[in-house]
Amino acid sequence: MTVLEIMERAGADSTNLTVAWIKDAVNMIQSNTKHDLKVKKMALTKNTRDYDLPSDLMSIDSVSLLDTQDDNKYKIISRMVSTPIVSEDTNP
Amino acid sequence: MSSSVNTGWFWRLKGKKLHIYRLKRSGAGSIRANGSLTSGGDELVYPDETIPNGIRLEYTAYIEPFVDTDPSVLASDSSETSWSNASLTEVTSPDESSHVNLNRMLSLAVVSYVKAMLAEMGGEVQSKEYYMREFFKKVSDNESNKRMQSITYPVSPFAVR
Repeated sequence: MTVLEIMERAGADSTNLTVAWIKDAVNMIQSNTKHDLKVKKMALTKNTRDYDLPSDLMSIDSVSLLDTQDDNKYKIISRMVSTPIVSEDTNP
Repeated sequence: MSSSVNTGWFWRLKGKKLHIYRLKRSGAGSIRANGSLTSGGDELVYPDETIPNGIRLEYTAYIEPFVDTDPSVLASDSSETSWSNASLTEVTSPDESSHVNLNRMLSLAVVSYVKAMLAEMGGEVQSKEYYMREFFKKVSDNESNKRMQSITYPVSPFAVR
């Protein structure tokens, strides 16, 4: 559906405002559903616990790790339920 | 070499950071020289190896909201076994001729959203609430269209209760 058709159906007359509202609606759809998923890969580094999340992330669908002993398949890992007691390790 | 990652690795979110832990299994407890028993508890450790592209993250994001062609129309549909989807190119500066990168049902949901925003601008809060309900109804309809679930009820043996 084009922006013009949406404007005509909704009775809107400002293109810029309608485009902004469409962006908001797409944002809301993406944060409430898994309409379209994106994949990013990053290096796992020895002795490093913290990794930056992509800044365009809305909600995580899955986190996988490369299993190098099983034909290099990415396998989904579980989310931790409990909170670890170490908040910062200065000598990892 | 990472192995059995699905059972031995865990993640958690902390603000804008992803934390990765490995479960280090320490096995059963052992008996010390003085006869006391050590506890053999498992412990969480930081990743103990480096793997290029080792972490794969799948997530929802704001992906190409406007494109140059209609995303819900096939590019070619010559037979039952021969078809292709339209090749979509993102439009970075959308205008009235740009297509919203959503299927028909979600595009109708967007129409309801725009109506809700127009009602809000006009101070019609009740109309806004009505159109927002329509928006979420269409979004959830679109989600349920992907699922095949059925609800069955037992048939009563008696016509008259």
